[in-house]
Amino acid sequence: MAPKKLEITVVVNGQPTAVDAEESRPLESIVPIALEQTHNTGQPPSNWELRDSAGEVLDGDKEIHTFHFPPGVRLFLNLKAGVGG
Amino acid sequence: MEAQFTDPEVSKAKFESEISQYRELAADYCARGWFLTEASFPIATVLIALPQLNPPVLLTGVRFDYTNYDARPPSVQLVNPFTGEPYRHRELPTSLNRAVPVPGAAIPGAPPGIAIQMKTVQPLMQAHDPDEIPFLCIAGVREYHEHPGHSGDAWELHRACGAGRIVRLLDVIHKYGAAPIREFQVNLVPQVGLALNEAPE
Repeated sequence: MAPKKLEITVVVNGQPTAVDAEESRPLESIVPIALEQTHNTGQPPSNWELRDSAGEVLDGDKEIHTFHFPPGVRLFLNLKAGVGG
Repeated sequence: MEAQFTDPEVSKAKFESEISQYRELAADYCARGWFLTEASFPIATVLIALPQLNPPVLLTGVRFDYTNYDARPPSVQLVNPFTGEPYRHRELPTSLNRAVPVPGAAIPGAPPGIAIQMKTVQPLMQAHDPDEIPFLCIAGVREYHEHPGHSGDAWELHRACGAGRIVRLLDVIHKYGAAPIREFQVNLVPQVGLALNEAPE
C-alpha cells in the first residue's frame, strides 16, 4: 500500500514551495526538501525553524499525521537567529 | 544613508521580488500583526503589532534599507511607528531578549554528568551607549557585518540562505520581540501618608 501523502506549502524565508509529504514521516522530513526546492543552501536543516500560520513553533520529531493539517495547509520555515552579540 | 554602488536595477528587482512575495502572503502576516506600510526602493517599513493582547498594541516599526541588496545585506532599524524616527537604545520598546544556555555548574556530591542547567539573557539589539541607535546583532543585517567584532562572519557566508530576506528578519524580530509578550503588566504603587484635617487656628 502506497504511503498516504499530503501536499504542504512551505514558505521558506517568504518564498512558497509545495512539498509532497508522507504523513507517516516526521515533520522535519519536509525541511530538506523545501530547502532544496527553493535553492536555500549553506545552512543545515537544524538551523531552520518551522512554524504554523499563528507563528507557533512545530515539533519536527512528531509524525505529520498527528498535526491533523487541513488540505492546503501553509507552514513557515525561517532561518534561526544564529549566534548574536 | 549608504550610496548605491551596485547596479540599481538589480537591487531594485530583488527588492521588488521581496515585496511581491510578501504581499502574496500579506493576510498571513497581518494575522501575526505585521503591516507593510511603506515599500519604495530601497526602503520598506513594517509595523509590528501584538494581536494577542486585548486591546491590541502597536509594538514597533521596523525600517529596512535594501540599498545595494544583495551584494550587501539590508540595514535594519527599529523605529517609532508613529514618527518613523529610529529608537535610541534607551527608548527601545523591546530589546529582543534571547535566552542563551551557559555551561552548567556541577553540583557538589552529585554523580558525574549531573549539572545545573542555566541560561542567560542576551539582547539582540545592541549599542555601546544608551543614546546610540542600536542595531540588530544577527547575521544577515548590514550593521552586524560592518561591526569589527564580526569581521570573521562575512555576509557572503549567509547570503545564499536568505539571511537578509525581509520575512526572515521579521520572523526573528517577532520571535524575540513580539511573541513573548502574552499580557499587560500593570504596576500599582500604593502610597501611604497621613490624612490631615484642616489645620487648627
